[in-house]
Amino acid sequence: MLDDVRVLEVSAPETMLAGRILADLGADVVVVEPPAGSPGRRLAPFLDDIPGIERSLTWHALNYNKRGVTLDLSSPDGKAMMRDLATKFDVVIEATSSRRTSPLDSIEFAPRTIRCTIAPFVSTGPKTEYAATDFTIMAASGAPAMTGDLDRPPLFFPVPQAMMEAGADAAIAALAALVARDRDRLGQRAQVSARIAAMMGSFGQALVPGSGNPEGKRSQGAMTIAGVQVPSVYECADGHTLITIGFGPVFGQMTQRLAKWAAEEGHADRRIAEINWPSFIGDLSSRKVSPSDLQALVDGLKSLARSKTKADLAEASRRLGLLSSPVMHMKDVAEYVQYRERGLFAPVSVDAGREIDTPARFAQFSNYSIEIKRSAPKLSEHSAEIFEKELGLSKTEMQALFVAGAI
Amino acid sequence: MSAPLDGINVLDLSWVMVGPASGRYLADMGADVIKVESSKRIDPVRTLGPFKDGKTGPERSVSYHNLNAGKRCIAIDIRRPEGREIILRLAKWADVVLESFTPGVLETLQLGYSDLKQRNDRIIMASTSLLGQTGPFAKGTSGVGTMGAAMAGATYQIGWPDREPAGPFGPWTDAVTPRFIVASILAALHRRSVTGQGCYIDTAQAEAGIQFMMPAYYEYAANGTIPERRGVAGSPLQVPQGLYPCSGEDRWIAIDASAPTHWDALRAVIVGLRDAKFDTIVGRLRNRDELEAAIATWTRQQEAAAVEDRLQAAGVPAHVVSRGGDLARDVDLRDAGHLNKINDPVFGEAEIEGPRFSLDRTALAPTRRGPRIGEHTNEVLAIVLGMSGTEIAQLSEAGILA
Repeated sequence: MLDDVRVLEVSAPETMLAGRILADLGADVVVVEPPAGSPGRRLAPFLDDIPGIERSLTWHALNYNKRGVTLDLSSPDGKAMMRDLATKFDVVIEATSSRRTSPLDSIEFAPRTIRCTIAPFVSTGPKTEYAATDFTIMAASGAPAMTGDLDRPPLFFPVPQAMMEAGADAAIAALAALVARDRDRLGQRAQVSARIAAMMGSFGQALVPGSGNPEGKRSQGAMTIAGVQVPSVYECADGHTLITIGFGPVFGQMTQRLAKWAAEEGHADRRIAEINWPSFIGDLSSRKVSPSDLQALVDGLKSLARSKTKADLAEASRRLGLLSSPVMHMKDVAEYVQYRERGLFAPVSVDAGREIDTPARFAQFSNYSIEIKRSAPKLSEHSAEIFEKELGLSKTEMQALFVAGAI
Repeated sequence: MSAPLDGINVLDLSWVMVGPASGRYLADMGADVIKVESSKRIDPVRTLGPFKDGKTGPERSVSYHNLNAGKRCIAIDIRRPEGREIILRLAKWADVVLESFTPGVLETLQLGYSDLKQRNDRIIMASTSLLGQTGPFAKGTSGVGTMGAAMAGATYQIGWPDREPAGPFGPWTDAVTPRFIVASILAALHRRSVTGQGCYIDTAQAEAGIQFMMPAYYEYAANGTIPERRGVAGSPLQVPQGLYPCSGEDRWIAIDASAPTHWDALRAVIVGLRDAKFDTIVGRLRNRDELEAAIATWTRQQEAAAVEDRLQAAGVPAHVVSRGGDLARDVDLRDAGHLNKINDPVFGEAEIEGPRFSLDRTALAPTRRGPRIGEHTNEVLAIVLGMSGTEIAQLSEAGILA
């Protein structure tokens, strides 16, 4: 879909998903790394737990479908080559650190170029100069404060998330500028704050005080309804399952079917199945039902879940239309028949002779398909071909640049 | 210059979060987004808080406004033939259609992609659901974002090893999936401007969630290791990187001084870290507990915001683990104009978020409130579809516009 679009990605952890989304959608994406390799190559986990510049699995996961060159952007030659390269590309993506200066600042981009910059905090704000890492940006997003148990510290994702959030929003920002350019042929600067991007996962916590409500508190995904702790994760025979108890006309119907099933299987009293769950909250105030009914449902579900496997519960969820799904680990994800048969995966190489199935197709299209065209570039893998074709460098010139450490 | 999607029309048949949040991105970019709702079957997000001043009511949900800011709303019963015909006529007007019905439902209503495409060959239609439109378990499966998180492998890994998985906060994949939908729609709009071709886009929320978990997925796929819950925040490969208690109830500071320059800066501030055994990375790894305790001893007596200020002044990456109140007061968000006042005729003032990125030439649309149920029904039918007052009155009489 973007096969007429060329993207130059000055590689940083935050740019990687942006470049990959654009590459998956058909753009020709070239990553620019310093001669020592992008910081993204030093992100865990590593192939066979052995570190190495070609062994970062995070690098592999977020850089396939791209080509790669090296340039020392602090050298005059690197800057000049970057400037010349930029004229051949539609979009330039970069991420600046806390200090706000970018090696691209000295380049005057053509009016048609789209420059998309990711920064930890917004470009004019008082936190502009903040030192920041993925971890501290996530702390500032509002999501961790709400994640986990109140008797223990907040929980973070085990995978850096600010770089994912920022990368995905940078892809959108670059594409928005591209669609604007389709109209008037002019490029522009797009800016993404990783912190604001990551706030998407806080589900509006910032709005809670301003609407006259007390701040939220974390509670292990459990809701407290009428004094009853309603968990969302239940232990089952071979792991855990997620069960959502909802009320109201839509979600309440699912709770109704759940209650009926628990009663049929002998884990809850028949009376629990006969309660009108869609109207439960309203009926509480008119005392038609009591919190103990909800407690009985929760207890019944705990007992029911323990008697079933993840697969049993998933099957019942499909059959009965419940808001329930297995808590999958990564082996479950890799083997899940729905993902397999739907065509989520495609093979990609992570090392000579080693292919894995990557969850390639984040979307499926009626007349386009995300395919794996190439695995993540090795360091400087495409320098020669790109510098020759785009910049007309001779073999002698390239060797001279290499000797000087500029590429 | 006008906003990038100025002149682009979007028919938003979706509800709850993923579809509406995608439509919000498009509205921020200047698209004319018409949300289709029915007072007989309101958007369930209207039943979710926070509610203005804690009082429930379908027009009081601040989450609703945050997800539907800048849209118009028409109330139509699309299950009636006359309602269906209005949708088909709006499909002719639309460049983009968003929908999040349980897979199979729109086809039953004869409002699927093929039906809409018959009226508008160039249409770009995006569907979102838990598991997608194809595959053995797709049809009839509905779901919410907590289920997406569970099926993306996220819930399993977030929690304490000695407890059940806690999972990420909220319906996590509802925050992830809109990104992939919007990027796909924008790419499709670009292609359409070149080739005239529309398309159908099918996203599964669980699959979108896996994208943000790719490093963990690769750990299994390449190394055969199933990543487990670690509980404690901070990477085992980076010291110090973690959370430290501050004075007050449930106050934490996140500090990441694992890079050598940051470590030197932190040491300059905290005297207790100057022991020679912390000189090297290996020394810090081997004495992690002691090192963390020394930092905690220093932070424990201080206010979290004061620790943030002191460490930032020294150049150490540190930030308060922000709660709602911290965010509402945050100087960075205030300065960016990210929190915008809206004035709603029903409940008065509240704040909602602004767009998630900025463009310097074709600025995005100003942040406006979300529409009330059916607020623009007459206006849309009359102006967009050119219906006469009599026609509209007849539809209203027949209960179609409710």
